[in-house]
Amino acid sequence: MGWLDTLMKHLSPGDQTQQSKQAAKERLKLALTYDRGGLAQGTIEQLRDEIIQVIAKHLTINKDEIEINFDRTSEQDKLIASIPLRMVPRSRSKAGAATTTAEPAPTRPSKKSSARQ
Amino acid sequence: MAGRVITVTSGKGGVGKTTFSANVSAALAALGKKAVAVDTDVGLRNLDIVMGLENRIVYDLVDVVEGRCRLQKAIIRDKRIASLHMLPAAQTRDKSAVSPDAMAKICAELRSQFDFTIIDSPAGIESGFQNAIAGADEVVIVTTPHVSAIRDADRVIGLLEAAEKQQIFLVVNRLQAEMVRRGDMLDIPDILDILAVELLGIIPEDELIVVSSNRGELAALHAVSSAGQAYKNIARRLLGEDVPLMPMAEDKGLLKRLTRLFKSQ
Repeated sequence: MGWLDTLMKHLSPGDQTQQSKQAAKERLKLALTYDRGGLAQGTIEQLRDEIIQVIAKHLTINKDEIEINFDRTSEQDKLIASIPLRMVPRSRSKAGAATTTAEPAPTRPSKKSSARQ
Repeated sequence: MAGRVITVTSGKGGVGKTTFSANVSAALAALGKKAVAVDTDVGLRNLDIVMGLENRIVYDLVDVVEGRCRLQKAIIRDKRIASLHMLPAAQTRDKSAVSPDAMAKICAELRSQFDFTIIDSPAGIESGFQNAIAGADEVVIVTTPHVSAIRDADRVIGLLEAAEKQQIFLVVNRLQAEMVRRGDMLDIPDILDILAVELLGIIPEDELIVVSSNRGELAALHAVSSAGQAYKNIARRLLGEDVPLMPMAEDKGLLKRLTRLFKSQ
């Protein structure tokens, strides 16, 4: 039946069916993060905004590229923040924005007022 | 005798705790161990009907707790396998009729008489759950590959860790190999990655489980059931044997079945 399966897969629109377990995994991980920490909905977004405010006081960052995730191993739970610094002007390699609400990053690190949103 | 008390729990209902408790108890008994399955779902007892022992109940767990009969009197001996036993829950009472202290005391008594005491817990994380884990040396969490069951399992793991239960094992029930292959069902590595507990076994989806429970028979005692084989494997793992997981790629397609039929001849 192999060729028939292959054919059906090619005919199915957008190969969406391949992804449902991935969706399950990602949704579960986020839900469990909140469950485990007893966090209120929106905590990560709030955390993200506050981290941006603090970092932006001292460094030039690209707010659109900040990623904040929780990760769990058998050893420990971790909060992982990826905050790319804008040291040298260069073109963005990817548009992996964590949220779409962030303003453009400030151009100078000392410009405290722009960090307040 | 210092037997082992193993509580079977899940958080979510309907994932197969009772079927697991019944079949693993039977498989352990079939391997020559003295085993008792205990129903702690007071008010919603079901272990008796799944095991086909519903007509033999005289006394129950609450009778023992409240001192109306001795523990020995409430335990039903299975006629199919001499070393298999069952302690039923009360049907006309509620969870408050039992306390964690009372359960711990009963577990201590059972531990001295049985190689294995398998405690089937009610769904949920309230008092019934606390009763069920009170006397447990080990805990088996049954989940299915569904987001709801996994989320509840995670919650239960947190509560067990808070209750300082050290030995926590996971059983993934009702796995459908074909759906996993298509990427439409969470796979074992995915589930272990999320829950981070030790895997005790995988039970494939198997229609024979429904058929067996319809008849009050135990799949683990029958040769043809794939789920039954999985329960037997789990029983052997509990005894410390290194039993490999069953091959997951069980293809139910007609062509594959025919091929296998020809190969086996």
